[in-house]
Amino acid sequence: MMELIGVPPALLMGQLLIGLINGSFYAMLSLGVAIIFGMLRIGNFVHGAQYMMGAFGAWYLVNLPDLFPSLGLPSLGYFWALILVPLAVGAIGALMEWIFIRRVYHLEHAYGLLLTVGLAMVIEGLFNVRYGAAGQQYGVPEFFKGGTNLGFMFLPYYRAWVIVVAIAVCFGTWFLIERTKLGAYLRAATENPDLVRAFGINVPRMLMLTYAFGVGLAGFAGVMAAPIYQVGPQMGQNIIIIIFAVVVIGGIGSIFGAIISGLMLGVIEGLTKVFWPEASSTVIFVIMAIVLVFRPAGLFGKETTAHAVTDLSSGRSGSFLENGRIWFFILAAIGVVLPFTVYPIFAMKILCLALFALAYNLVFGYVGLLAFGHAAFYGTSAYVTAHAAAVWGLPPELCLLLGVVAATAIGALFGALAIRRQGLYFAMITLALAQIVYFYVIQAPWTHGEDGIQNVPRGMLFGLIDLRNSMNMYFVTLVVFLAGFAFVYRIINSPFGQTLKSVRENEPRAISLGYSTNQFKLIAFTLSAMLSGVAGGVKAIVFQIASISDVFFMTSADALLMTLIGGVGTLLGPVVGAAIVVTLQNKLAYFGAWVVVMQGAIFVLCVLFLRKGVVGTLQEFLANREARKRVATEAPAKAETKVAQ
Amino acid sequence: MNTVPEDYIIEAQGLSKHFHGFAAVQDVNLKIRRHSIHALIGPNGAGKTTVFNLLTKFLQPTAGTIRFNGRDITNVKPAEIARQGLVRSFQISAVFPRMTVRENVRIALQRKLGTAYHFWKSVSTLSVLDDRVDELLDSVGLRSFADYSAAELPYGRKRVLELATTLALEPEMLLLDEPTSGLGHEDVDRVAALIRKVSANRTVLMVEHNLSVVSSLSDRITVLAAGRILAEGNYETVSRDPRVIEAYIGGTDDE
Ligand SMILES: Nc1ncnc2c1ncn2[C@@H]1O[C@H](COP(=O)(O)OP(=O)(O)OP(=O)(O)O)[C@@H](O)[C@H]1O
Ligand SMILES: [Mg+2]
Repeated sequence: MMELIGVPPALLMGQLLIGLINGSFYAMLSLGVAIIFGMLRIGNFVHGAQYMMGAFGAWYLVNLPDLFPSLGLPSLGYFWALILVPLAVGAIGALMEWIFIRRVYHLEHAYGLLLTVGLAMVIEGLFNVRYGAAGQQYGVPEFFKGGTNLGFMFLPYYRAWVIVVAIAVCFGTWFLIERTKLGAYLRAATENPDLVRAFGINVPRMLMLTYAFGVGLAGFAGVMAAPIYQVGPQMGQNIIIIIFAVVVIGGIGSIFGAIISGLMLGVIEGLTKVFWPEASSTVIFVIMAIVLVFRPAGLFGKETTAHAVTDLSSGRSGSFLENGRIWFFILAAIGVVLPFTVYPIFAMKILCLALFALAYNLVFGYVGLLAFGHAAFYGTSAYVTAHAAAVWGLPPELCLLLGVVAATAIGALFGALAIRRQGLYFAMITLALAQIVYFYVIQAPWTHGEDGIQNVPRGMLFGLIDLRNSMNMYFVTLVVFLAGFAFVYRIINSPFGQTLKSVRENEPRAISLGYSTNQFKLIAFTLSAMLSGVAGGVKAIVFQIASISDVFFMTSADALLMTLIGGVGTLLGPVVGAAIVVTLQNKLAYFGAWVVVMQGAIFVLCVLFLRKGVVGTLQEFLANREARKRVATEAPAKAETKVAQ
Repeated sequence: MNTVPEDYIIEAQGLSKHFHGFAAVQDVNLKIRRHSIHALIGPNGAGKTTVFNLLTKFLQPTAGTIRFNGRDITNVKPAEIARQGLVRSFQISAVFPRMTVRENVRIALQRKLGTAYHFWKSVSTLSVLDDRVDELLDSVGLRSFADYSAAELPYGRKRVLELATTLALEPEMLLLDEPTSGLGHEDVDRVAALIRKVSANRTVLMVEHNLSVVSSLSDRITVLAAGRILAEGNYETVSRDPRVIEAYIGGTDDE
């Protein structure tokens, strides 16, 4: 038989088929994400969880007799699921829109993403609590059992069915949106939401139905997936990040682009599995990076002209809570007392994560960019530091330096790729780029996969301070934290920081004053990556481990959560947020799998009710009180002058 | 450098901009004499702001070339254009709302200090600019508002602050997009007087709907309608041009 570059055709065709199947799911899912994004401006991170619900829905229907033995229900098979589940999941979507999503339409786009991240954590967490991480089996429907031999390969009927149906659904949806009257409204809304709002159609209902439709598509894809993949709580988690990358590659706002890119990338991924298996899990993200360089608007996207970051900061420049000179000493004092009141290891965890959140806030709060990939910098540094200590036996200061250099380099590279984009786009891109690091770490031999690098020796700092002593380690960590705090304070209160502030308050104006704003953003982003690297490196030394969770996107979400709870763009917010989150995680550890659910719930609650965070809210309260006092003291004074006259 | 027979500071040729097939600006040839006040007028949606966006490169032209001081700037980035001395304002007031009035002006000044990228220096190093800031604020009558945050200013003062910020750059040429829109009578007069004052030794191109401001300030007027130049000349000629009158009436009918 003929072999293609040493690859047997059966293998090639087999992978091509798998690629096409995966591509079918990418296409169906990114279609939904593209519609929801285009129309509602919501980066629907919960889409993966909704897809997962679809798969579970099919599984529920088949197991109805076992689940509710007393009701005497029949077991409903695949075809019932194909009809009922998308409707049910779509209805759940409508409900979610009604309860949560519509509350953030009028807010900055970043909040929509944060809200759906929280919702995804809650839903996936709940399924995890109920069913554990292991998957459920859903057999191939009787009707599709078997397959046909095409001569060069065996084609299972069900797989052929998936491809045909997926393509039909995608192009049917495309036809509906691009070629019908209903679609014309939707499309007008995609291209000019404000215009449609002015049409006088029941816009809220239209938005709800659109969201429900997109979610229903996810449910449908879930049913289709059930016989092929394991039905498990995590099945939507990784795919959603791939879907975001697909949408970026296709070009935001382009439904056609989402479909074509989805199919194409599935195939490319399949082929990569044949020719270079190690690269297959990152190839989509790498393609995204390349597309961003050559076609920033995506393959099928339109030229974008927006030049604006968004100001989400809740800091008030006059407030004494923003006075870093005072707070440096207060924090130092607290830091000195802390290890005598709580476990040093717990205190060190707070310090490391507080530093990480401070670094993150530099980008999110002070540049106004929703970055979602800081785990890449934190984790890279953790791994490099750990490796340098454990394998090369270098002294801790040198290990840390290497870790920080690595994080800074990756930060500069990712920043350069992403910095021209804003808002959701920026979030999706940084998230996808960070995934490259994640999959690299999973596969590279020196990182030891799931185990991570363990038993990292702490060593002697500068050959003088023995870090094996936990008090020594603690005070070194404290000094690093305070130095980081001072550094961040200096950055935001420097000429550079002033310019950064102007960029975030009005970017076009800053450009018109002659500032190349992208360079400022890039420098801030790189500094943030560097500081994240410091946090990650110190963490590796303190806990003597670099683990896969350090580079996982949940770590990025943690940084985001800490900053959000504490107060975006406030000096103390990240520190307070880190203290709160670490304490909660500690207290909740008892509840095991519930931690993720609660963290997700906190995310949701923060987005809905505490957008200024603890510190931002406090600053607002203090400012209002002062204003009231001023009025109160001025009023009598006026009265007196009147009397005097 | 370049001795052009007629001294034009800006020469735009064949400028066009299409948005997804819709021609917002079409084949516009625009020459602006140095040290003149040139007005760009036209009905709503004529493409005036788009022309500004093209000249300052906030938008990339679909076709055409732009020369500034004889240099081709068609492929220059917007921030670089500002650094070369061509500074624009925006149709909606563009201040930095949460910065003080003083900081607003200082932002413009601090670029020339050369420390804009210095993240390791204290912000107090910027205090060397305070005198110049106060001087500028004095000259536009905003000194007493120096410590207010820009968001607290009434609209008219915001536009004045915007002008002061622009002037802090000492630009060779200003592009003002409807500097008097949304202002009351008094404010209109104040801003108009200010424009006249700063136009000495400078070139001003402004989009303006208030025809009395246009007639009293501008040396030359270009009328734009549906993306094309309809007429050009001084106020006398332009205001008598029947096509201009029709375009304006047609324009108002649409609304
Ligand atoms: N970024 C854009 N994308 C699509 N169309 C645009 C864009 N910017 C402007 N247009 C369209 O180009 C045309 C010209 O707009 P422009 O803002 O230049 O008009 P204008 O003369 O400044 O009007 P006004 O007097 O109302 O300010 C309008 O029809 C507008 O809708
Ligand atoms: Mg305009």
